[in-house]
Amino acid sequence: MAIETSNECMSVAQAQALLQQGVDCRGVGDHPPRFQTGDKVRAKVIHPITYTRLPRYVRGKIGTVTKVHGVYVFPDTVGQRLETKPQYVYSVRFAAQELWGPEAAAQDGLYLDLFDDHLDAT
Amino acid sequence: MVHTHRPESDIALRVKAIESLLVEKGIVDPATLDTIIDAYEHRIGPHNGARIVAKAWVDPDYKQRLLTDGTSAIAELNLTGFSSEHMIVVENTPQVHNLIVCTLCSCYPWAILGLPPTWYKSFAYRSRAVIEPRKVLQEFGLDIPDDVEIRVWDSNADLRYLVLPERPAGTEGLSEAALAGLVTRNAMIGTAQVQPPEPPSTLAA
Repeated sequence: MAIETSNECMSVAQAQALLQQGVDCRGVGDHPPRFQTGDKVRAKVIHPITYTRLPRYVRGKIGTVTKVHGVYVFPDTVGQRLETKPQYVYSVRFAAQELWGPEAAAQDGLYLDLFDDHLDAT
Repeated sequence: MVHTHRPESDIALRVKAIESLLVEKGIVDPATLDTIIDAYEHRIGPHNGARIVAKAWVDPDYKQRLLTDGTSAIAELNLTGFSSEHMIVVENTPQVHNLIVCTLCSCYPWAILGLPPTWYKSFAYRSRAVIEPRKVLQEFGLDIPDDVEIRVWDSNADLRYLVLPERPAGTEGLSEAALAGLVTRNAMIGTAQVQPPEPPSTLAA
């Protein structure tokens, strides 16, 4: 259990601050992003029995990076209170036909923000 | 008049029971709970998003900033907050229609649109919006022409999305505040388009 959480009662002032400021999910990265806009990537085929932000419907599918969002903490490990494991998040566009087959509209696309750990180079 | 007693729903009773237990054990302060409920009942809601949209419609520089860096542009209006910390704004155009969903649960820009509607959290919307967005939009009353690209944004990570709808024709003379009054919650999720104001009714001859 690397991430400690508090069981203390939240005060009115803490709630007001939380509503106003929210929770910053960004992290610090010490290396350049592995992928750039325009790169083709493949979502990993993994089946973790624990929490993950990698939806099943994109696993194994190929998409294109449309934006590098920056570094964010990794919910897959934070959700288990293991480690923050900060890493790059990319906006990846999957063609609707890549995900759903030839009956989907050729021009439609699905955009998903994926973490570095969810992606392989193609 | 006959007095009919309406029993509380199972979920309401369950929430009450859990709340009193948490308060009893000192895990939740009822005053804190009231603060949060009050904020979402009176201060936070789709009117915040409507202000952002209306400003983008009347101020091209603001619109540019909003589409380039949604988080900073929304912070200019002091409208950021919990569950809207990292914002991406996507623009509807005659060529592109955007639709927001969270297939994982119900990720939604709370500070900007308030709490998500029930249908947004339903399994049906969350699965069908990605698989057959055109059909889902039809059921919302939107027929998207075949030559328009549909972009579905599954806001599964920690970025939250807001659709900048198209400004309806015939609204050139409207003030920013009047424009904001036209913008609906569903238009900012992408399940509706903003309608022009109703023409003033005329008396039948």
